[in-house]
Amino acid sequence: MSATLTLILIVVGAYLAAHVAFDWLARRFLIVSGAEYLILGILLGPQVSGLMSAEVVDAFAPFMTLALGWIGAVIGTQFYLPGLVRIPGAAYKVAFLEAILSMAVVAGPMALALSRLFDLTLEQVLLPAITLGAAAAASAPSGVALIARRLTRRGPLVRQLEINTAVDAFVAITTFGLLLCFAHAAPQGISRPPTATEWAVITIGIGCVGGTLFHLFVGGERNIDRLFISLAGAIILASGAAGYLQLSPLLPSLLVGAILVNTSRNREEIKQALFTVERPLYFVLLIFAGAAWRLPDSKAWLIAVPLFLITRSIAKVGSARLAARLSGMLPVLGADWGRALLGQGPLAIAIALNYLVHNNSLLPNIVFTATVASVLLTDLSSARLVQSVVRKQLRRVIPRSARETALPAPSPEEP
Amino acid sequence: MRRAFILALLFGGMQLILPLGTAGQGSQVLLAFGFLILGAYTVGEMAAAIRLPKLVGYLIAGAIFGPSVFGTISQEATDRLAPVGQLAIALIAFLAGSELRWGEVKQRGAALLKIMTVELALSFVALLALVYGLASFLPFLREAPPIHALAFALLFASIAIVHSPAATMGILTETAARGAVARTTLGVVLVADIAVVLLFSGALAIARALVPPATGAAGPSLAMVTWEIIGAVLVGSLLGGAVALYLRFVRRELFLFAILVAFFGAEIARLAHVETLLTLLTAGFVTENVSRRSEGEMLRHAMERSAAPVFVVFFALSGAKIDIEGVTTLLPLVLPIVLLRAGAIWAGTRLGARWAGVTGLEKRYVWMGLISQAGVAIALATVVATAYPGLGDHLRTLFLAVIAINETVGPILFRRALADSGEIPGAERPREAVLALASLRRRSPDDSSAA
Repeated sequence: MSATLTLILIVVGAYLAAHVAFDWLARRFLIVSGAEYLILGILLGPQVSGLMSAEVVDAFAPFMTLALGWIGAVIGTQFYLPGLVRIPGAAYKVAFLEAILSMAVVAGPMALALSRLFDLTLEQVLLPAITLGAAAAASAPSGVALIARRLTRRGPLVRQLEINTAVDAFVAITTFGLLLCFAHAAPQGISRPPTATEWAVITIGIGCVGGTLFHLFVGGERNIDRLFISLAGAIILASGAAGYLQLSPLLPSLLVGAILVNTSRNREEIKQALFTVERPLYFVLLIFAGAAWRLPDSKAWLIAVPLFLITRSIAKVGSARLAARLSGMLPVLGADWGRALLGQGPLAIAIALNYLVHNNSLLPNIVFTATVASVLLTDLSSARLVQSVVRKQLRRVIPRSARETALPAPSPEEP
Repeated sequence: MRRAFILALLFGGMQLILPLGTAGQGSQVLLAFGFLILGAYTVGEMAAAIRLPKLVGYLIAGAIFGPSVFGTISQEATDRLAPVGQLAIALIAFLAGSELRWGEVKQRGAALLKIMTVELALSFVALLALVYGLASFLPFLREAPPIHALAFALLFASIAIVHSPAATMGILTETAARGAVARTTLGVVLVADIAVVLLFSGALAIARALVPPATGAAGPSLAMVTWEIIGAVLVGSLLGGAVALYLRFVRRELFLFAILVAFFGAEIARLAHVETLLTLLTAGFVTENVSRRSEGEMLRHAMERSAAPVFVVFFALSGAKIDIEGVTTLLPLVLPIVLLRAGAIWAGTRLGARWAGVTGLEKRYVWMGLISQAGVAIALATVVATAYPGLGDHLRTLFLAVIAINETVGPILFRRALADSGEIPGAERPREAVLALASLRRRSPDDSSAA
């Protein structure tokens, strides 16, 4: 089968899945993961059936880069400054503390473990360990969004969860984006290769120029077609430039997305255009990510992967509790509110996939396998975890009569 | 000023980025794609500001940023962006097909055939005579025996009469013109496209009989050509039926669906060895005529929206393929060919229109929409270059020079024709067009298509 036809069939499959299976699963079973597409990708890929050969997967590398960029831009649209300034500082304190602590708690032990397991120096394993830390910091926003939609009014816990998923994404993307700058190999054929700081400036510069270009391009225009052309152009350009320079497309695109929503008068139309394409694109990315998966050569993955799963679970719950306690928010959020952040979501896969296809990466299959395993395990239950945490919190702080109106019982028919 | 700043920012950014990356990576294609969308669109807007078609701006941007001038877009990137061209052709064909309604085809089909027949015949004979007459001036035919010169003149003429559905649809999409001149031009271009494939196959068969190819490369047989045409109608009808069913029962995410239909149609046509353009044209026609009017319009609108960035890149890539140095070198030879072709199209269209009983604005302006040439001509020239590696390559180079001029001048003329005939919505209607329209209305009060 030709590569183009394969892609078409995959897109059709993902599209149908997105519109038929996704909505139904979310309504009926509170499953919002998309992890099933990862499994489908693994089954279609060279490791299992070989329906999608390694060449086909490689041929669509630009498409994967674009999908990464698109995901970054969608995340960037959450950072609308006039909305952000209305959120209390304590909420940011909790969110940043939780994200940074989670990342550090995972990256530290994983660095030690990887060093021991693969007989490498600590300096060598910093790159995969911090990547795992960044992937671990990411939390799935879909579960929180699904539960938030079911509530008649949002309490401080749900609002905190929404802030946390956004801040987790910001911290994960920024850390990973800057990490690739520090681990950048010197390009050939130039007299003085850029330093790590210069690569970081270039990464941020691509995002800022992409966003500025969009702003200049659109001007006072309100025509949706023109908006779409400039939107697509800015994201494609930023992702392509980052990919071409062996940098992460996630960070520049996040900046593009943030600039778009903060400078355009058509904020809602832009978000709508981004979201329309994002979901099918994400499922296609998951399928390709599954197809790109290779079983690690060393048996040590059997230890590294479970270790990552355990460390991440402890880190997320523990860091959330510690962050809430340090900020004086523990009574509001509850002791185990971090369980609602266990779902890992698309961003973790995006980071791991970006690391997998990066030229200069060490232990790429270990990092990718650990992340895929974690996403598969946590995403299926992410909405249920959020629901249980929210219900528990409601039971604690709201009288029984008010609770009934705040959180209606889940119904299979409920949209 | 703002546009110049965007271009400077884009170009400067690319100059900074390109030396730092690794050539041959997939992301380079993405980078080139993004650059072309924004860069070419900006140049297109600059062109529009001086009343040139945006499409010409895209072509100019491609030529300037392409391998022959600044080299911002490398040859490798242009080659790897070839699927964008296929997608654009598919979208163009589908959109063109969806412009045609069965009632209109029945009503105007005979007139279109008459105009097309006379125009193609006159152009073919004129160009055949010219190239045969110029053989002693063409470096690659100077030494060739007369029979060789005749064979190549035949091939040249059969390709040189090709029009450009892409440029025609590009201008119609850009201007949103839907009047009599627009519709007649589109009709002639589409019908001629099918006729030219048949004519070229015949010319190649004669050329092969006169001058057997040294490589022994097989040309298309009659059965193959027949299948290419009939198969395309069959495959296109099936695809159109499926699209109509989707519109009737699902009708969701039309933006993505439009791109998928175009990609799928092009790929199926390639795998079934049928004519891509005709397949998608038929699919668009069937969809439009089987679906309810509002459903067809919804899909057309979605397709126009999804096609917008693809068209920008497609025409920019066409511009990037223009070898400016080659065109300049061959200009003394190319100019008479271009002028004679334009003259033959003008005369042929007017004679054909008289035969068909078409008068007024159509008779006067349709020829201006038939000058453009692009992808189909290049594809046919490549077939000749493959069959006759030595002489065919020279012929292809000559063609590319002819096409470079026609694809730049053609859209300008077509836009001018649409503007002068008062068919561009929102544009000022020239006094001449108003008078012509009034005279037409006096003659046939029922015909309001020109309005």
